Amino acid sequence: MKKILIVDDEEVIRMLYSEELEDDGYSVITTDSGHGLIELIERERPDLVILDIKMAEHDGLDLLQDIRRDFYNIPVILCSAYSSFKGDLKSIAADYYVVKSADLTELRQKIKMALEGHIPPEPSK
Amino acid sequence: MDVVENPHDVQSADIVVGIPSYNEAKLISYPAEKASEGLVKYFGNKNSVIINCDNHSTDGTREAFMSTSTEVAKMYISTSPGVKGKGNNFKNLFQKSCELGAQAIVVVDADLKSITPRWIKNLGEPLFDDFEFVAPLYVRHQHDGTITNNIAYPMTRSLYGRRVRQPIGGDFGFSGELAEVYLKQEDWSNAVAEFGIDIWMTTTAMCHNKAICQSYMGRPKVHKPKDPGEALGPMFTQVVGTIFDMMVRNGPFWNEVRWSKPTAIYGFGLGEIEMPPAVDVNVERLYDKLQAGFVEYQRTWKDVLSPNVFKKLSEVIALPLAGFEFPANLWAEILIDFAVAYKNCVDSRPGLLNNLIPLYFGRTCSFVIESESMTIQQAEELIEDQCGVFESSKPYLLDRWMETS
Repeated sequence: MKKILIVDDEEVIRMLYSEELEDDGYSVITTDSGHGLIELIERERPDLVILDIKMAEHDGLDLLQDIRRDFYNIPVILCSAYSSFKGDLKSIAADYYVVKSADLTELRQKIKMALEGHIPPEPSK
Repeated sequence: MDVVENPHDVQSADIVVGIPSYNEAKLISYPAEKASEGLVKYFGNKNSVIINCDNHSTDGTREAFMSTSTEVAKMYISTSPGVKGKGNNFKNLFQKSCELGAQAIVVVDADLKSITPRWIKNLGEPLFDDFEFVAPLYVRHQHDGTITNNIAYPMTRSLYGRRVRQPIGGDFGFSGELAEVYLKQEDWSNAVAEFGIDIWMTTTAMCHNKAICQSYMGRPKVHKPKDPGEALGPMFTQVVGTIFDMMVRNGPFWNEVRWSKPTAIYGFGLGEIEMPPAVDVNVERLYDKLQAGFVEYQRTWKDVLSPNVFKKLSEVIALPLAGFEFPANLWAEILIDFAVAYKNCVDSRPGLLNNLIPLYFGRTCSFVIESESMTIQQAEELIEDQCGVFESSKPYLLDRWMETS
């Protein structure tokens, strides 16, 4: 069973994602901040990380660089309520990004592709 | 190293800035000044030194460097008279940096016109945050760096699974530990001793699973750009030869890699982007060189390329310049076929690489035509698409590589 780590300071998001993704057959662990994130990943060895960008105490884009430094092979999906973060160059260190939504169709699709190790398929315009 | 000039008697350093050179007397003072400013401003609490690692220049490079007014101590080291090559300069730098006990080494080209003190910060600071190799990320005109765009970036990305946009950028940061790894490597070829050094350093860092990041420089790289059809020089064969050599050596590593992964980014948000100067490329000349190459080399091409690839290439050759297109998937398969041939023909490798040059001109011609009216961002997307094509061609590479093993 593939293990997914959700990093988000909004409890309702953690609950929603956990329930839905567990129903899909994934093992899910969650954390509400970036404190000790690298140690948590070291210990739990998730197959995928879903990372919120704007958290009260941490910048998800900075956490993303730490993950890439120590675990470059673990796929990371960035989540945000806004699409404006794509303007920050640091976001290209993510495998995929999704804008938060109650409809998890896009997130599910990105999880599947990330776990298959596929490169981002979005074609250029 | 043959010559060492160390007037400040520097015996140890936390951070070293190296400037490799050969006959750069006119330009070397500028990067030396900016390096000093960067070291003072951002690494003021560390022992630092700027080292000019030279090829025994005869134009006064040594005097120009040593007389540059800097707050930071300077040192001059050189190869023996007659020993040339950027890689040989780097080897001296690796050795000297290890002797000094440096934790971090930053290298910048001697002909840089756009370097700022922040470049030293951005290339050096990640090395004090557990990264071991820092590659530059700068905005370049789409027609500058055609070997990078059409060979070095897509090849390293598809082979080793790490997305490093400027694997032969020339400006890097690396840890003292990685310098020791470099010194211990046994695959030091003539090409690595020259322009093959950049891709060799990047690939070696990848194959040793070092923590890699890309650092956004904030300004375009402005140096001495060249029209690829006019002045290719030995750089092509040295870079491509090194890529192929490392494919042969690191087969067990890249055989296991399927898709690439993004790399950490150091720096800051995009902000306002300074556009690089345009680079003019003569597409007619590139096209003519492809056609002339077909006349001269078609027998070899037929031997090297698989029948289907040669057939597709023949169709491309028959296209007129108006409407000319050399598809990325054909280019990826051609490079793969040449890499396989390179592996198998140990005796005639230099000649084989020369046979590839007209095909590179053909692909470059097509890329220039396709990206002519694009913005730099659109051209970047085109390059990313090409990388996707290279990664999708990996099964073809594995099949071809295995069938001849």
